[in-house]
Amino acid sequence: MGLLNFFKKIEPDKKKRPFLHTLFDGFFTIAYSPNSVTSNGVHVRDGMDLKRTMIHVVLAMQLCYLFGTYNVGHQHFLALGEYPGFLEGFHLKLVHGLIKLLPIFIVANVVGLAIEFYFAYKKGHGIEEGFLVSGALIPLIMPPDIPMWILALSVIFAVVIGKEAFGGTGMNIWNVALLSRVFVFFAYPTTIAGDEVWVSGFEKISAGNNPEYGWAHGLFNKLFEWADLASFNSASAIVDGFTGATPLALASKGGWGAVTDVYTTAQMWWGAIPGSIGETSKPLIIIGALILLATGIASWRIMLSMLLGAITMAWLLNAWGATPFMEVPWQYQFYMGSFFFAMAFMATDPVTASSTNTGKWIYGFLIGFIGMIVRVINPAYPEGWMLAILFLNTFAPLIDHYVIESNMKKRLQNA
Amino acid sequence: MGELANIFIKSAFIENLALAYFLGMCSYLAVSKTVKTAFGLGLAVIFVLGITMPINWLISEYLLSENGIFGMDLTFLRLILFISVIASMVQLVEMVVEKFSPSLYNSLGIFLPLITVNCAILGGSLFMVSKEYNFSESVAFGLGGGFGWFLAIIAIAAIREKIQYSAVPGPLRGLGMAFLLTGLMGMAFMSLMGIDPAAF
Repeated sequence: MGLLNFFKKIEPDKKKRPFLHTLFDGFFTIAYSPNSVTSNGVHVRDGMDLKRTMIHVVLAMQLCYLFGTYNVGHQHFLALGEYPGFLEGFHLKLVHGLIKLLPIFIVANVVGLAIEFYFAYKKGHGIEEGFLVSGALIPLIMPPDIPMWILALSVIFAVVIGKEAFGGTGMNIWNVALLSRVFVFFAYPTTIAGDEVWVSGFEKISAGNNPEYGWAHGLFNKLFEWADLASFNSASAIVDGFTGATPLALASKGGWGAVTDVYTTAQMWWGAIPGSIGETSKPLIIIGALILLATGIASWRIMLSMLLGAITMAWLLNAWGATPFMEVPWQYQFYMGSFFFAMAFMATDPVTASSTNTGKWIYGFLIGFIGMIVRVINPAYPEGWMLAILFLNTFAPLIDHYVIESNMKKRLQNA
Repeated sequence: MGELANIFIKSAFIENLALAYFLGMCSYLAVSKTVKTAFGLGLAVIFVLGITMPINWLISEYLLSENGIFGMDLTFLRLILFISVIASMVQLVEMVVEKFSPSLYNSLGIFLPLITVNCAILGGSLFMVSKEYNFSESVAFGLGGGFGWFLAIIAIAAIREKIQYSAVPGPLRGLGMAFLLTGLMGMAFMSLMGIDPAAF
């Protein structure tokens, strides 16, 4: 109970310093459930408040974080042609991944939470937990080499325009994490699209280029030399023939054959491929999705219907078969890109999705359907799920409106 | 037939009059407070676009062009003739709506006659001329453009109905929020931009 006593000791006066107290409350409720409980009326008494819900989602993402961090390093050394085995050079890959991921995580969360605290102070309400999930999702959907100022700008845009303007947590229409990504995508396209951005630590991806190591790498080099381990070598260079192209970029040019020339299906399935930080490993994302389903936070209706929608569209495109990309067999479409990540963590966001059950079926199906169209048919974008989810976020209130209206009509007829 | 379907899809989703060209904003922002009125206005716009587009096509093809019945280039009259066609069609819609749905007529108010100067309608006709569509293509373009505008206005109306219950900061309430929503919707609609149906 040392922690509880510590919290009791530092608790600020609620009357005298309301802002400090909300700040304190925000951190206190991470560790303990608050004392104030519902006192009358019939209620379900459960510790499952907003913060617990959000923390479950964050927990479900942890495997993606672990794998993503390591994969950033793995891709870096693949480009150099060193340590081709997945577990070879473990410490180097892990440290490189951490050096890339930690700044992204810290900047995204510090900027987002600072805005959150400022608005809590301005509006005089308690600190809302809304940014916990967004702050955990944003690093996972960014390329590893994104400049920090662009990341900070995108978070500011997403939180201020996408959420606080609508009244804060639970009232946004568009997914906050996706808004930050779409902001980078349209405002600074060179940092988030193309073959160059998915492998970290190089100024330019072409044969003979040396990696760029900063002071953090130097610091760890001293440690590794002291421990008699292999260290970062800034004289090594990118091997011939390495392009850094993602499976989707390859598929849009030459179909499934061009993908399997470079990557094996096992590699794509387990996620040792270039991509956004957290979206590459399918089995780990599926584990996260199962956690969300078991705890009842994510809607199985949305996940299932999104899968069905994507399969339907991929199958239709197979039948059409006008380009090599369309001829990619429908089941192989799921090896590439971020379908599972979008399905597990993005589309199921309960705030921005449709809230009626029938609406969820329509919403999920259309995301799968349109996302596949954007991925395969639209030459402007490499992947479709981000834009498809934002597109359906736009229509989710409309879907709900008509579902409710038809329910009302049905009941009036029965009455 | 495939060509016409392409034009319909392109004008409805890819080159949406409201969210890609931001045309017809005055009634789009003013009449989108509830889904019901937005639905009515959207239908009226589909109707007016679908009717005026082919009529304007006939006019510009057979009256105004050099190969027309007057045998001289009268394109300088294009704007004024288009507007008068649109105005008379709107008058027709107004009478129909007033006769069959007085409640919708009342809730649309001044914005129903104002479809006359709705830039989406005139813009559609001018796009049709500049894209050199033929008669059936102009029908598809008119209906598609109207459908896209209809979809955009009922979507924003549903969102605005939903955010009535949100704690939107005071200065942003109402029109400010509508502008913000339109911008973000435009961003979401960019998902389909860049698709070229004719390429396949």
